[in-house]
Amino acid sequence: MGKKKVLSFTIIAFITGIMLSIQFQTVQDPVVRDTRDTKQLRAALEKEKELQAELIKELRSNEEKLSSYETEREQSKEETLRKTLEELQTEAGLTEAKGPGLKIYIDKANSLPAGEFYENYISADLLMRLLNEIKMYGAEHVSVSGHRVISTTVIREIAGATKINGYTLKNWPIEIIAITEDYKSAEKLSHRLKASPIGDDFFIDHLLLTVSDAEREVTVPAYEDKIRIKNMETAD
Amino acid sequence: MWLPVAGLILGIVLGLLTDIRIPPEYADYLSIAILAALDTLFGGIRAHLQNVYDERIFISGFFFNILLAASLAFLGVHIGVDLYLAAVFAFGVRLFQNIAVIRRILLTKLSASRGKKEKS
Repeated sequence: MGKKKVLSFTIIAFITGIMLSIQFQTVQDPVVRDTRDTKQLRAALEKEKELQAELIKELRSNEEKLSSYETEREQSKEETLRKTLEELQTEAGLTEAKGPGLKIYIDKANSLPAGEFYENYISADLLMRLLNEIKMYGAEHVSVSGHRVISTTVIREIAGATKINGYTLKNWPIEIIAITEDYKSAEKLSHRLKASPIGDDFFIDHLLLTVSDAEREVTVPAYEDKIRIKNMETAD
Repeated sequence: MWLPVAGLILGIVLGLLTDIRIPPEYADYLSIAILAALDTLFGGIRAHLQNVYDERIFISGFFFNILLAASLAFLGVHIGVDLYLAAVFAFGVRLFQNIAVIRRILLTKLSASRGKKEKS
């Protein structure tokens, strides 16, 4: 028998042996029989029950601690301040607002006689009137073309273009989103705007005002710039 | 001649001492691999006795048979047919044939050597 032959036989026999013993061990998992009698089983059960009681006790104490921490946190001044700050931010329009509301679209009217040309343009005056009307009828948060309307928002005409907060309104249709306190007031707002004569004023300017029905949830983006306060000072 | 046997024993002892266990799901694969290995081993012994032994066939047969058997078992698991039984059957039959051939060759050799002794 050649040396190489013996070597390969040996290696393969070795591998086979390892595989055999592994398989043997895997299959021959010794089955441990439970030979405890009733008394022993009772003792074991008692032990486990004690452990369970202890664990439950621990769980209860942890829960108590958790709830005490929670109340502490709720009653702390910091939490109150934070809540107030959040409320104020929401009111000022620095956070995104979600809630029931409606959408209003201002689009070009296609009612011109053939051949006539009219450059569509929404005047600042008209837009302001519309916003005032929306606010008057109960809207809490309003955005125009994705720009949040807050208390310091400026709507004016600069060089022939109407701007809101410095952004030109040029994407037709102009979308106005208004959020109200609840769904009912959103419905009310929708009905009031639909009945309002302001639509006729838009039509004079060759614009079409479309008011959607009340929706369960609309989103108004946050105010994107910083609010500059010039004439306010902290009280002593 | 005794080196392969020593290797087999060494492998078994080493495997038992290291206490390696594989997950029971893979026990099928390993059993088939063992069958393939045994088949190759006995095939090699038979080829050696018949003087048709080829190193390359022996080594490649070992690994190829194991791989083929394992993949058959794998495929069987995935298509829901116990395909590994096919491998078990094939290897079992070949194992018996090989051992029968080995036995016959050894018997003829034995009787031939006896005849020689009687003659002399």
